[in-house]
Amino acid sequence: MNAVRILVCFKVTPDYEALREADWVAGEGGGAHGSGAAGGGTGAASRVETRYVPRILDCFDESALEMALRMREAAAGGTVPVELGAISIGGKEVERHLKTLQALGYERVTRVDTDADLDFAPTVTASIIARYVENTNNTDLLMLGWRSGPHDGGTVPFLVAEELGWPCLTQVTEVVVLSSDRVRVAHVVDDGVLRVTVRLPCVLGVGNAVVARLRVPTLTDRLAQRGAPVERVQGGDLGIDVAAELAREASVLADLEVIRRDRPGVIVGGESPREKAQTLFDSCLKSMIEKL
Amino acid sequence: MSLRRATIVEGLQHILGADSVVTDERILKESSIDRFRMFEDIHGVYTQPIPAAVAMARSTEQVAGVLRFANEHGINVVARTGRTATEGGLETAVPDSVVLDGSGMNQILAIDAYNMQATCQCGVPLQVLEDRVREHGLTTGHSPQSKPLAHMGGLTATRSIGQLSTLYGGIEDMIVGLEAVFPDGTVTRIKNVPRRAVGPDIRHVIIGNEGTLCYITEVTVKLFPYLPENNIFLGYTVDTMKTGFEVLREVMVNGYRPSVARLYDPADGAYHFAHFVPEGLSVLIFVAEGPAGIAKATAEGIEAIVAQHPECRQVESRYISTWFADLNWGPDKIAREREDILQTGNINRTTEVSGDWGCINDIYENALRRIIEEIPDITMAGGHSSHSYINGTNMYFNYFYNVVDCGPEEEVTKYHTPINRIICEETLRYGGAIVHHHGLGKARTPWVRDEYGSSYYILEGLKRAFDPKGIMNKGTIIPA
Ligand SMILES: Cc1cc2nc3c(=O)[nH]c(=O)nc-3n(C[C@H](O)[C@H](O)[C@H](O)COP(=O)(O)OP(=O)(O)OC[C@H]3O[C@@H](n4cnc5c(N)ncnc54)[C@H](O)[C@@H]3O)c2cc1C
Repeated sequence: MNAVRILVCFKVTPDYEALREADWVAGEGGGAHGSGAAGGGTGAASRVETRYVPRILDCFDESALEMALRMREAAAGGTVPVELGAISIGGKEVERHLKTLQALGYERVTRVDTDADLDFAPTVTASIIARYVENTNNTDLLMLGWRSGPHDGGTVPFLVAEELGWPCLTQVTEVVVLSSDRVRVAHVVDDGVLRVTVRLPCVLGVGNAVVARLRVPTLTDRLAQRGAPVERVQGGDLGIDVAAELAREASVLADLEVIRRDRPGVIVGGESPREKAQTLFDSCLKSMIEKL
Repeated sequence: MSLRRATIVEGLQHILGADSVVTDERILKESSIDRFRMFEDIHGVYTQPIPAAVAMARSTEQVAGVLRFANEHGINVVARTGRTATEGGLETAVPDSVVLDGSGMNQILAIDAYNMQATCQCGVPLQVLEDRVREHGLTTGHSPQSKPLAHMGGLTATRSIGQLSTLYGGIEDMIVGLEAVFPDGTVTRIKNVPRRAVGPDIRHVIIGNEGTLCYITEVTVKLFPYLPENNIFLGYTVDTMKTGFEVLREVMVNGYRPSVARLYDPADGAYHFAHFVPEGLSVLIFVAEGPAGIAKATAEGIEAIVAQHPECRQVESRYISTWFADLNWGPDKIAREREDILQTGNINRTTEVSGDWGCINDIYENALRRIIEEIPDITMAGGHSSHSYINGTNMYFNYFYNVVDCGPEEEVTKYHTPINRIICEETLRYGGAIVHHHGLGKARTPWVRDEYGSSYYILEGLKRAFDPKGIMNKGTIIPA
């Protein structure tokens, strides 16, 4: 039986939660995440400076990467072999994540080598992924996190699917391999969860899945894969001039505004828990219940 | 509920009032452990004897009442405040123990900006005290990573240390006086003076007792001017840990006192610094603080020492200040960690020891080599030095493993204890100390006799003298 060949796209992003509030300044950053000096493609100083915070996998991408591993495990006992590939667009910071994926059993790992800042350039990202899939012609199922950071509009899965002419489902929470050309997909829609059987090839945008964390390889796993090759591809190899594409899609960060979600807290006083509960009920809960 | 449990609860209710005695089963189970058994807790498995009740004390008199009652009836008492213990100190090793919780004793009693000292009850979270004294332009100088969670009682009881220790010292350097209650209900107060020579320094019977001799109800700590505007952050990559230790030593021996002096090995450093440090390098970090002139002189002195070591390369200081701003652990990080562990089965553990300059690198290298060789399923093993002294430094081993092929209740025996054994054996072999700042708890008691050697006589004597009936936190510090 033919194998199902899964390719998971992931992005290594700055850990925005590690940014100090004082560092959320528009116009400080120099462009690419890896180093301020090397970026600049979309107009240096048009970004928040993020190079001082660690790089992490986006949480939705992390889900997608773990889901693919579990899909293989679930399918392994049956008759359908599953092959796993992973691809990321970025600089050297991507390499250690690719090595981790190799240690976890991903057979093909690829870095599209660029220091350019693609944060606000979903069409460029989508073109790179689509061209890679077309050129290599060895992907049946393409999985991506549905969005990869606070700057991301969640459009990349749709744009890739459009370029490839493949069907696309987003907000995916579960995938099961049924056969070499069919998967069963659970995805969140407006009024609940829909389960559908999809014929491959297709694109899946992973959403808020229960499986949210990527497992961790042991030092022995890592040692076993030391020296395993990482495929490196340039934009030019895919027929894409990344800098020129970015110039066409240039966007400038104009302004930033802090959205305050703090709510005032009130300490409920009283001699005993019973008295406090009564005060809480009288002052807040009672009127809320009455409104229902 | 057995009659005995019922009688204990009744007795406590009589002393504290019914509302202050908790007997909810889920809470009792969670109160039978601390983070040493967090893997069991995350999976809802509880292997330790379940306490009879959690007693919420609101005053020194109530603490005295509960201890007197327990002492009279031979009931084991586990003192508790912030619940961040990592070494089993909060485990209720004896059936029908009472957990005596002082988190409700949370009043700051005085901030004396003239005499530079603050007094508070045991249940005041350090973060609360720190925020309050900062309103006066002051700081406690105490900054453990658990600052948002840990309370002053527990911090004193474990001989805790903060990230700024090289300048401000450990908690033992900060405490000027305290109030503590002994098992027979005796309330003792040690007055707040700059120094005295009136016999042994009895503060040290109380500081670090981990709830095995007495219950700490009140502490007075020193205050310092808070001058963050003068802070200078320095960071360097360094090829080997051996050179890193050498630089730390030279900084200390030449009389410089940066508040932070840290050395990360490549594995541990990768968790924090992979975005600016090439793979395989160690990282040295310093923060110079204090009055502007002192901070500047300290930074210049350190820079001159580092310049003597060509393998050290400076990194931009903003990397260090950004990292430093995100170090502490609040409830958000604890919640995220639980979710990570539940989903991946991968858990992070630490063991901190100390040694003099002559042996610390040997302890580091040998323990790490053995952990990697002897323990299965390790996903990361590394460490850092974070507290330096004129004669040596600490080593904080930091390691992760996947828990596989065993139940939650076997995690400690399959992984954590064997790793602790390796680290303690290697540390003792070179003459270091098996615990630097988390406390012995119950986790490292198998090695306590070797740690103390002939001075174990003094430790046993203290226990006999102050807790003759052995009701205080059985199995902690002194093996059961
Ligand atoms: C994320 C994290 C980071 C940490 N970082 C640091 C660090 O940087 N530096 C450091 O030193 N430690 C650190 N710790 C360990 C821990 O925070 C300290 O040991 C702290 O001092 C415990 O204080 P607590 O109030 O939480 O005490 P608890 O956890 O409640 O108790 C700790 C021990 O003290 C005893 N005890 C508690 N209250 C009293 C009392 N009133 N009288 C007598 N005995 C008492 C208990 O019986 C127990 O043995 C960290 C822990 C965590 C979880």
